[in-house]
Amino acid sequence: MRTRRLLKNSAAEAEQFRRRAALAFLGVVVALAGLAFWYFRLQVWQHEDYVTRSEQNRIKLRPVVPGRGLIYDREGRILADNVPAFRLEVTPNEAGDPERWLPSLARVVELSPEEIETFLETRRVTPGFKPIPLKMRIEPDEVSRFAVDQWRYPGIEIVPYLNRRYLHGPLFAHVVGYVGRVDAQDVETMGEGNAAFSHTGKTGLERSYEEALRGQVGYEKVETNVDGRPMGVVGRVPAVPGADLRLSIDLDLQRAMVAAFGEKEGSAVAVDPRTGQVLAMVSLPSYDTNLFVNGISHADYNALTENPSRPLFNRNVLGGGPPGSTVKPMVGLAGLDSGLRDADDTTLSTGEFRIPGQARGYRDSHRGGHGMVDLRESIAQSVNTYYYKLALEMGIDAFAGYMARYGFGERTGIDLAGENAGVVPSRDYKRSISTEPWYPGETVISGIGQGYWVATALQLVRATAAIANGGDLHPLRLVEARRDGYQAPWQPLPQRTASRITDNPEHLRAVHEGMVATVHGPRGTARATGAGAPYKIAGKTGTSQRSSRKGNISSDPRSLPYHLRHTGLFVGYAPAEAPTIAVAVVIEHGGYGGTAAAPIARAAFDAWLLGKMPEGMDDTGADAEGAGEAPAASAPEATP
Amino acid sequence: MTIILRWLLDLLVRFTRTLDLPLLGALLALMVIGLAVLYSAGGQSTSLVFAQGARFAVGLAAMWGLSRLPPNQLRNWTPWIYGASLVPLLAVLFIGEGRHGAHWINLGVFYFQPSELLKLSLPMMVAWYLNRQALPPRFSTVLIAAVLIGAPTALILLQPDFGTAMLVGISGAFVLYLAGLPWWWFGAALGAVAAAAPAAWFWLLRPYQKDRILTFLDPESDPLGAGWNIIQSKIAIGGGGMTGKGWGDGTQAHLNYIPEHTTDFIFAVLSEEFGWVGVVVTLALYLFVVGRCLWIAAAARDGFSRLVSGALGLAFCVYVIVNGGMIAGMLPVVGVPMPLLSYGGTAAVSLLAGLGVVMAVRAHRPVHGH
Repeated sequence: MRTRRLLKNSAAEAEQFRRRAALAFLGVVVALAGLAFWYFRLQVWQHEDYVTRSEQNRIKLRPVVPGRGLIYDREGRILADNVPAFRLEVTPNEAGDPERWLPSLARVVELSPEEIETFLETRRVTPGFKPIPLKMRIEPDEVSRFAVDQWRYPGIEIVPYLNRRYLHGPLFAHVVGYVGRVDAQDVETMGEGNAAFSHTGKTGLERSYEEALRGQVGYEKVETNVDGRPMGVVGRVPAVPGADLRLSIDLDLQRAMVAAFGEKEGSAVAVDPRTGQVLAMVSLPSYDTNLFVNGISHADYNALTENPSRPLFNRNVLGGGPPGSTVKPMVGLAGLDSGLRDADDTTLSTGEFRIPGQARGYRDSHRGGHGMVDLRESIAQSVNTYYYKLALEMGIDAFAGYMARYGFGERTGIDLAGENAGVVPSRDYKRSISTEPWYPGETVISGIGQGYWVATALQLVRATAAIANGGDLHPLRLVEARRDGYQAPWQPLPQRTASRITDNPEHLRAVHEGMVATVHGPRGTARATGAGAPYKIAGKTGTSQRSSRKGNISSDPRSLPYHLRHTGLFVGYAPAEAPTIAVAVVIEHGGYGGTAAAPIARAAFDAWLLGKMPEGMDDTGADAEGAGEAPAASAPEATP
Repeated sequence: MTIILRWLLDLLVRFTRTLDLPLLGALLALMVIGLAVLYSAGGQSTSLVFAQGARFAVGLAAMWGLSRLPPNQLRNWTPWIYGASLVPLLAVLFIGEGRHGAHWINLGVFYFQPSELLKLSLPMMVAWYLNRQALPPRFSTVLIAAVLIGAPTALILLQPDFGTAMLVGISGAFVLYLAGLPWWWFGAALGAVAAAAPAAWFWLLRPYQKDRILTFLDPESDPLGAGWNIIQSKIAIGGGGMTGKGWGDGTQAHLNYIPEHTTDFIFAVLSEEFGWVGVVVTLALYLFVVGRCLWIAAAARDGFSRLVSGALGLAFCVYVIVNGGMIAGMLPVVGVPMPLLSYGGTAAVSLLAGLGVVMAVRAHRPVHGH
C-alpha cells in the first residue's frame, strides 16, 4: 500500500482530471444542445402538426338534440309535448359482459324482459363504443338508487332527455300518432346527420310532419379528458328546435264526438266546409299512444293486435267501404250536371226496379215503393229507384267521371301518410281485378253507393263540404299553422287550391234542399235527428252492406249476427244556410245510418254550434294523463 | 440594534459559509420552476406543492449538513457508508414493495428507495478506492472498481429497476472515466454490451422492458397501447411551440392525456406550458449546475474530492438527458425522474445531498496559490 501511494503523481492526476472533465463538459454541452435541438424540432418545426393533434385529442363533437315541436289544437291546447325524463344508457365496451352487471343492476332498476331483450338485440348490431338505451323513462327513485351505486357500473349512465307525452293519448291516436324509438330502418331513412335522434315519428302527424317536428341536430365542441368525460363546452352550433304545429282540430269537438260514439266502432270526420280544415277526426276503438313512445310491452301489443276491432287501424285514412246512400246527393248532382235530369223531373218508384229484359229486381227500402219522386224527395226519402235508373241512363263511364270530380277515388290530401284513395266503380277498375266484362247491373247498384265502391269518411265529408260551401272541393288538412321556435309567430300553412264540383249553383241548391228535407222534411230518413235543433241541418243517411253479394239489399240488418250487420252512415252539415261544419260518420256493424250514425253527427253539430257537451263530460280537459306535470317549453334541448 | 443585526448577519454568513452560492442559486431556481410546474400539473392543488416543498427542505438541510463536513472526514467514512447502504439494498429484495418489482421499503412514515442511496455512496466508494491507487488505473484496479460498481448494480437489476441500475452504474463509471481510465476500456465495454445485448434480450429483460424498447423504435406501431405515453407526451411538447400555452393552460396535462404528468413526464408539462423558451432556460440551468460541479471538482484539494464532485455532476446531467430524451421520443422509456422537477422524495433528497458533498469540496478548497 505504502509503495503504491508513493507512486501517485498528484499534479499529473489533477491535470489528467482537468482534461477528462473538460472533455466531459464538452460532451454535456453537446448532449444538452442535442436535446434542445430535438425539442426545437418538435416545438417549432413540427408545432402546427402537434397543435392539430392536441386539438383533436381534446375536442370532441357532441350532438345536441333539439326539443321536438309541440302539437296544439286550434285553441292552443297542448296535445303533444315533451317532459324531462331520464334513461339508462349502456356503453357495451366499457360495461363489459352483461352477465356480470345485468343481474345486480336489475335489483337496483326495474327491468322488464322486453327491455333486456331489446338491449341484447341492439347490442349485437351496434358498435361497442356507442351507448345503447337500456331503459327509458326511469322513475326518480330509481335514478337516485342508481346514482348511489353508479361507481359499480362503469359504462352505464343516466342520461337526461325529453320524453314525448300525449296529453290525450287515445283521443288523438289516429290524428297525432306517436313517436317511437329509432330502429335500424329509420336510421337509413333519416340519414347520418340525424343519427343523434332517439325517437322518430311512426304514425299520424308525428310521422307526416317528422322533418318539421324534429328540428335540426346541433353540435357542441366539448373538451374531453382522456376518458372521454366532458370537461367543458368550447364552442357550439346551436340545434334548431322542431317546429310547433297548430291543428285545426278542436279538442272539445273531438271529445264530444268520441263521447257520442259510446261503445260503437267506426269513424267520423268533421271539417270546416269553408276551408277543408279538419275540426275533428275520430277512429274507434282507439289506444293510448303513450304506450308506444319508449317501446310497448309484448302483453300490451298483443292485446292491441289480437283485438278483433283492430284499435291500431286508422279507419279514416286506411279504411273505407261502400258509401251506400250517402252518395245519392252526389249522384243526383251528377244527374243535374249531365243534363239527364232537371231538379223537378220525377221518377216512379214501385218498390222494385228491373233492367229491361232482365229478371233480377233491385229494391227500394219501402216494399210498395215511394211513388213519384223528384230529386229533393229522392234524397229525403232515399229512393233507390231514382238512382238505379239515373245511373243506368248515365252509363258507368260518365258516372265514374262525375264521381271522380267530387273527389272519390282520389286522395283528399289529408296530411297523414298512406291514405286510401278508395274506388269509384268503373270499367278500368273491374278490368284490374277481373276478366269478366262490365255488367249493367253493376252500374245500377253503383248508383246507390254499392258494388265496387270504396269511399272513406274523409272523401264523404269532403264532397259533403263541397255541397255545403257552394261547390269548392277543398283538400283536407289537419295542420293549420306552424311556428319555427317558441318566440316565432304562427305561420299559416299555404292554402291549397280547391277544385269546383259544379258550375251551376242551382243544381247545388236543389241537392241542398233535398238534404235539408232528409232531416227536416215530413218523410226524411233522418227526421229524428233534426228534432229540437235550434238550427237547420242538411244531411243524408246511408246504410251499406257489409256482405254485399249475399242476401238481399232490403233485408233487415238487425236480423243478422252483430258482426255481420250493415254499416250505418251519415253525412251532413249545419247550419244549413251558412254551414260552418260538415261531418261524415261511419258506424261499423251499426244498422241504419239514420238511427246509428246521424245522432253522432247531431252531437257534433250541437257541440260545435251550441257549445253543448255530451252529458257526463266536463270541458276542463281533466282527462289529460298526468295533468299535474308542467309541460316543457319547446325550446329546451335534450342534453343539458 | 445594529449590533444585533450585525450579529445576525454574522451568524447567517457563518451558517451559509459552506454553501456555494452560484450553485445554490441555480438549484433554487430549478426548484421554483419545479414547484410551479408541479402546481399546474397537479391540477392547481397546493397539497402536492407543499409536500414537494417539504422534501426540498429536507434535501436542502441534508445539503447544508454535508457541506459542513470536511471531505477528509467524508472520505474516511466512505467504506462504512458504502457498506451500510448495501444493507437496505439487500433487504428490499425480501421486504420491498412496488409496481413492477420490489423498489421501496415502507418505513411507515414514508417510502424509502434504497437504490437512491447508492447514487451517492457508490461514486464515493469508487473514488475512495481509486484515490488510494496510482492513476491512471491499472488493469487490476479497474477490475476491483468494476466489482465495487457491479455488485450493487446487479442487486438493483434484480429488483428489477433497469433505470436506476443504469444510473448507479454510470455514476461509478464516471469516476473511472474521470480518474483517467484508458480509452480502450470504453471500446471494450461497448463491444461487450453489443455482444451481451442479444443475450439480455432473451434472458434478462422483462416483457415490459422489451415493450419499452420496441415502443421506442416505433411508437406509432401501437398508438393506443405501449406507444400511447410517448405519442401523447410528444403531442404535449410539440403543442407547446416556442413560448408555450401558458402556465396552467396545458391541455394535454390537464385532461390527463400525459401519463405520470407529475413525475416522470413533468418535463412534458413544462414544455407544453412554457414552450421551447422554457425548455432552454431549464436546460441552461442544468448545464450551469453540471459545469459548476466540474469547476469545483477541478479546483479540489485532493483526488477523492475531485472524483466525487465530478462524477456527481455528470450523473446529474445523465438524468436530464435520459429523462428529457425519453419523454420526447429520443430515447427509450426508462423510469428516470427529471432532477428537482419530478414529484418524488428520495430522488430529490439524495440529489441535494450529493450536491452538498460537492459544496463541501468547494468550501474546503485550497487557498489560492497553494
